[in-house]
Amino acid sequence: MRIYFATDIHGSEVCWKKFLNSGAHYKADVVILGGDMTGKALVPIVDDGGGQWHATLLDNRETLNGEEEVAAFEAAVIRRGYYPFRTDPDELRDLSADEPRWHALFEQHMLATVERWMEMADERLAGTGIRVFVCPGNDDQLEVDEVVANAKTVELGEGRVVDIGEFQLASSGWANRTPWDTYREEDEDVLQERIERMTEQITAPPERTIFSLHCPPHNTGLDEAPQLTADMSLKDAGRATIPVGSTAVRAVIEQYQPALSLHGHIHEARGTHRLGRTLCINPGSSYEQGQLLGVVVDIDGKKKVKNFVLTSG
Amino acid sequence: MATVAAGDERTVFVRKATGLVRGWSTRDAFIYAAFSINLVTLGLYIFGYAPFIPEGSLLWAVLLAGFYLVVQGITYASLIAAMPRAGGDYVWISRVLGGGVGFVLAITGWWFILWMWVPIYANILNVEVFGPMSAIIGWDSAVTFLSDDDGLFFTSIITALLASGFIALGMRTYAKVQKFCFYGGLVGLAIVMLLLLFNSKESFITHFNEQSADLYGVQNAYQATLEAGSAGGFAVSGVGSFALGSTLLLIPMMAFFNLWSNWGATLYGEVRGASDFRQNIYAMAGALLATSLAAIALFLLFSKTFGWDWYNAANNAFWAGTIPTGVWPYPGLLAASFLGSPILQFLLIAVLSLWFFGWVGTVFLSSTRVIFAAAFDRVLPEGVAKVDRNGVPYIALLLMLVPSIGIAALYAYSADFQTYTLAATLVIAVTFLGSAISAAILPWRRREIYKASPIARYTVMGIPLITFAAGLFILFLGFCLFKWFTDPDEVYAVNDSGSLIFMGSLYLLAIIIFAGSRIYRRRQGMDLSMAYGEIPAE
Repeated sequence: MRIYFATDIHGSEVCWKKFLNSGAHYKADVVILGGDMTGKALVPIVDDGGGQWHATLLDNRETLNGEEEVAAFEAAVIRRGYYPFRTDPDELRDLSADEPRWHALFEQHMLATVERWMEMADERLAGTGIRVFVCPGNDDQLEVDEVVANAKTVELGEGRVVDIGEFQLASSGWANRTPWDTYREEDEDVLQERIERMTEQITAPPERTIFSLHCPPHNTGLDEAPQLTADMSLKDAGRATIPVGSTAVRAVIEQYQPALSLHGHIHEARGTHRLGRTLCINPGSSYEQGQLLGVVVDIDGKKKVKNFVLTSG
Repeated sequence: MATVAAGDERTVFVRKATGLVRGWSTRDAFIYAAFSINLVTLGLYIFGYAPFIPEGSLLWAVLLAGFYLVVQGITYASLIAAMPRAGGDYVWISRVLGGGVGFVLAITGWWFILWMWVPIYANILNVEVFGPMSAIIGWDSAVTFLSDDDGLFFTSIITALLASGFIALGMRTYAKVQKFCFYGGLVGLAIVMLLLLFNSKESFITHFNEQSADLYGVQNAYQATLEAGSAGGFAVSGVGSFALGSTLLLIPMMAFFNLWSNWGATLYGEVRGASDFRQNIYAMAGALLATSLAAIALFLLFSKTFGWDWYNAANNAFWAGTIPTGVWPYPGLLAASFLGSPILQFLLIAVLSLWFFGWVGTVFLSSTRVIFAAAFDRVLPEGVAKVDRNGVPYIALLLMLVPSIGIAALYAYSADFQTYTLAATLVIAVTFLGSAISAAILPWRRREIYKASPIARYTVMGIPLITFAAGLFILFLGFCLFKWFTDPDEVYAVNDSGSLIFMGSLYLLAIIIFAGSRIYRRRQGMDLSMAYGEIPAE
């Protein structure tokens, strides 16, 4: 069986489209998106009147003349993985002062985008025979699950053990604590209980079991992230890195020893690592560039996975 | 991430999400860029080669190249902005020019040729640290040992072990060590400059003669050195003189020291916008310009206090093997002569040595990253990316350590091989050329990546800034490569059949590994072309 796994596309529509095409492109039987599918930012495009607008993307302020330029700017925002919205100076001022309100607007745009993506998946993948799993990650609000669960061709992975051919896939997007207090994070002991509740449902032998756990195991190189200072700056210009993965995830992998364990979360820690018989992979993420980093794995039910290649699609 | 534009208007609403950080300090980035250019370790060493082109102006060569190579900083800052956290030349070249080209250029430039940097670094360790220290404490047998072949080989092993040790410490600790060494090294450099500034040439002659008598038993060393170095009609013009042709010829030699402002470029983390792009330029170009200006200040001080003719004559005599003291005229030791006290002299050399110890680990650090990346792409066996319980990449380190010892033996025991020093720069320059070409054509070859990046709006005369800067950088590298490969006067010593065979064999080895891996993986049912083939979005 051939599996394609990608993760952390953070709202990048180009990456989502590539993910939908990845099964056919790599001749994969199963494609899995490992989490953090929603964007991080909402970008206002401000109406200055008389057909003129202005907006800022990546610190670059732009003046936009007419619908065509506004649409092109919106496309650029979407390409980056952010959500554009049109507004006027008064509304923007009110919104800026009202945090619950802009959070609600954010959620509205985010969920609408996920819904649109699911429709896109139904259009493109219906009848292909490729199974598609999405498991939201720690940066994805819990409301995302319902939207994914309602899709016809995409299956929600969170907290479930599902049969894929002669294999079983166990997925979770929850992570250990981060400095950002994200939506799906918890203390290590609670996380371990969560994952173990799931692995108790597994009936396949370890060599026919696949984990898709968003957070990588601790101290495996798949979890090396730049160390941060107290004010959330990158220490030593990003040169000082530390392991930030989960000890719970590591413990469960070491205990259960699935053939394959797929991870994400730390974008810069692209790589592979063996924990006993388990091949752990974090393909990394370059979503900002519209580059879908991933991994193609051929798995045959033998004790160890031997064939895989990290891709940059 | 900036949330407020000019005035109070909010330009972006950011929800809580992993990885949203405030950025990095330009000062920190500057430190690592300045350290990689390394005025003391690499600069002072290569300045000593200037007498091979006596009509050239060292001052103008360093100044012109320093200002020109700002385009290198812009090129790499642009690549980082367009493809952040990509891992450097390997991925940049692979994504734009293809996996095979990326592998061959990166593996030669960031792995194989760094084997050769071990004995080069060892030589620097000898002439700038161990040699002077041994002389100061009166350990004459060590001075003799270090200046012969066995000594160089021995120090090469120490250098390789030091580099391995620093990698084993881990990035977090090593970054701290580097910062400490940088500030300590700056203090040492400042002391050298102050000593040269506040002492006269007459005073230097007196102190140098005393130091040479004490350490090496040579009497009237200043005059003897001048005469030895001036034999055969060797003469240089004044420090500020300018002869265009010869000065340009010095520039490919100076690349040994000033081509590395981008060395830590891939480590800066996520680029969030145009301000980060500019910050990277400030760090890399700023470090390059600051280092170049510091070098100019040193030249002027050398001229004032040593005498420019004497400084060059001393280096000339060293390469001719006629220098009376028998050792390389390390400016740190020359300046230390003013201190009189052996303890103070020893301390000054020790503080200056921080420039060496803070940077030596990078000889292996970059290599281990490239080895890992190639293993993840399945070009190299998975096992080479193994780490031990403490995260030490022991297989990758062995792949650096063992061949580097072999190359060190060649370097130590073959006089010919020792002259190929600039080959170590040439092969990396070829890798940079690959990245520069990738950068130049990025807006067309990877249009979507370019358009999604914060640099897409920067143009010069209608040409994308990345293309403009990379084009100028390509011209620089092309000029250097042309001179290195033609080199009718053999001043660079790399247009030699032995050197060409050595460098060619590195490329051949890389091609064989890549082609062999493709065939092997295909037989396993895994097509390596998948690694860089783009998935269609529509």
